[in-house]
Amino acid sequence: MRGGVLPPALLFVALGLALGFAPRRAWLPSVLALLVTLAAFTLVPAPPGLADAVFAGCWVSVIATAASVHLVRGLPPWAAVAFSVNVGVWAGAVVSVSGSRLDLLKALPCVSIFLPASWLVARRASIPVKVVSSWVIAIAALAAMLQLLPVTPGYLPDHLE
Amino acid sequence: MRSDARWVRGGWIVGTAGFALLLSNPAAAHMGTGLPGGFVSGFRHPFSGIDHLLAMISVGLWGAFLGRPLIYALPVVFPAMMVVGAIMGMFVVPLPPVELGIALSVVVLGGCIALTLRAPVWAASIIVAVFAVFHGYAHGKELPSAADPISYSAGFVLATGLLHVAGICLGFLNDLPNGVVATRSMGAVIATVGIGLLYRALVI
Repeated sequence: MRGGVLPPALLFVALGLALGFAPRRAWLPSVLALLVTLAAFTLVPAPPGLADAVFAGCWVSVIATAASVHLVRGLPPWAAVAFSVNVGVWAGAVVSVSGSRLDLLKALPCVSIFLPASWLVARRASIPVKVVSSWVIAIAALAAMLQLLPVTPGYLPDHLE
Repeated sequence: MRSDARWVRGGWIVGTAGFALLLSNPAAAHMGTGLPGGFVSGFRHPFSGIDHLLAMISVGLWGAFLGRPLIYALPVVFPAMMVVGAIMGMFVVPLPPVELGIALSVVVLGGCIALTLRAPVWAASIIVAVFAVFHGYAHGKELPSAADPISYSAGFVLATGLLHVAGICLGFLNDLPNGVVATRSMGAVIATVGIGLLYRALVI
């Protein structure tokens, strides 16, 4: 088992943390870009053979998006929109490969973490945001490496699957 | 009168049955793969051993002593290097005895707090990074057998981070009168427990 709510939730948390460092005028276009891309990629069924590649893309995207909080000059608006499109693509793909649209709906509120994140960044207290982003990166890096293990019992289907 | 006795007896039966229901576990024929693991067990893992628990709190507490930039650099360095250790554990890369490294981390970090050691940024980062590898190795060796490894890793990374935050919060005691004595005493207690863990790892 590796699908479910967690992969898209981590993508949305990473995006939310990154948007905390973006200017306010970038928020609306970013959220709209995310929703449009999500809608498009959730409707398009991903080939089941690409599951490993989709999950790898998901984890790399989580790491790249969460790491953007360390950009010295913050996140420019164009980069915020680009990250949103990228997150939308991988969240849609990962849910279409393993999961349901309900998982996507459950995970989507995680993106709202950009509100407290931007509040902290505006008050020059970005440390907690950067610490949380390091946790997200750690989880995604572990999940990415798990795919390289030859046998992971948790990924094997049990007799009910 | 007889009716009252019947009510009392009935109450006892219902009460006992209710209490038994509260204590009992539900019968579950198909609860999944039967493998342990998931968010909750991952979250509980750092709390389950006093060695992990004290080391994580010490990282935050020492960072609070050292101030900026280490107050946030150490809690960022630790998970990054813990991942490296976890990956080494997953692939069973040979490492010096892990229990020894973890026990030593409790002694050293507790000692640094007790002595209020003002290490330079590079030295503090290296000390924490090396010990993070040992802690990550222990987590990583258990990770692949978890039923839901991603949730398990999310659980233990979150718990680790929250323990760092707890350590940083304890560091705020330093701002109070005699607060430094209190935090240094905590460091001494942690180091003493670490010596016990080290003895156990070496002798027993």
